[in-house]
Amino acid sequence: MLLEQAVRYSEIILALAYAQQSIEFIRGLQPERTWGVIRLVLSLLLLMGFQPVLVEAGLLIVACVLLYRFQGPYNGGSDCMSILVLLCLFLSHIAPSPFWQQLALGYLAFQLTFSYFQSGYIKIINADWRSGQALADVFAITAYPVSEHARRWAKSPQLMFVMSWSVIVFELLFPLSLLNRYALIVALAIAAMFHLANACLFGLNRFFWIWPAAYPIILWFQSRLMAS
Amino acid sequence: MLKLILPVIFPSWRFFSSIGPSPRIHIAFLQHENDEPDAWQEFRARPAKVSLKNGLWRLLHNPEWNETLYINTCVERLFEGYSEMREREIMRRILAAIHNGEIRAEADKPYVTYRISAVIREGQVISQQVTFVATPVLLSELSEKGAA
Repeated sequence: MLLEQAVRYSEIILALAYAQQSIEFIRGLQPERTWGVIRLVLSLLLLMGFQPVLVEAGLLIVACVLLYRFQGPYNGGSDCMSILVLLCLFLSHIAPSPFWQQLALGYLAFQLTFSYFQSGYIKIINADWRSGQALADVFAITAYPVSEHARRWAKSPQLMFVMSWSVIVFELLFPLSLLNRYALIVALAIAAMFHLANACLFGLNRFFWIWPAAYPIILWFQSRLMAS
Repeated sequence: MLKLILPVIFPSWRFFSSIGPSPRIHIAFLQHENDEPDAWQEFRARPAKVSLKNGLWRLLHNPEWNETLYINTCVERLFEGYSEMREREIMRRILAAIHNGEIRAEADKPYVTYRISAVIREGQVISQQVTFVATPVLLSELSEKGAA
């Protein structure tokens, strides 16, 4: 995939993800409702490819305002990834040379890979995750399960064990998929299914939309890596 | 501001590294500011089941759930130490839920308060301890805090 193509595809997915988040803000309280409207307009401009540098600068300003408003991310990891994708795309546009442009996008590809690997690493070093107990606690104790029906999954230790290890193995092996284009495509498809499952079971819908915004960049990064 | 931006640019992806105390919020209506609540109701209790249709819709649009996740973040910050801003944020959103009819107020009870409990597992026992009770607020403050 060419760098310009990857950036454009990434911007389209980012614009859709931001539009989705903004519409949710518009249903909320002030002042985020107003910021939601502003961000929705900017997202639609980004979707159309109108002045991406200016529009992304505007979106970055809104992101800073919201970070200040909530004294941190409103929605944890999904906000972090949203801002990271936005920042790296913006930096790739204003980069003074192809080297800096590739560095900005390479950083995004690294963070995407690291998001899976680190998440897997902290699980495998934890005995409760290895036994399936930690995932059972996520279902039984935390505020994440979307329904009492989903909470009951905690009562199946075998299921928790298999699910825990499936997630751990996938997350730890994700970086290896960079060695082969088809392996990476399969890994990204599995990752998207993983985010879908998290959205259905734990209501983390924003993760499902924002993580794929970085996928075109990692596809470009992988081809760049192989070419060198 | 840098303190807020740096963790976003150099994030930590330690999702569910350990399962700590998990928050639950209950609200109660009071006749007088200093009354002891006689009944607590869970704020945004989970439904028994989510239908496929609702699940698909929530994938696209789920503002209430994401607001609840934000409220939980506020609660987790309160677990770490008192913050007036976090206490206010939670109350503001409870008042808004009352204002928009999500929660029905009781006619003869003009005050509302909330409490935060921490659900923890110790061995095989899951227990719930109250860690914080908010200062009651007059429902007539809705227009100032909730609906603002």
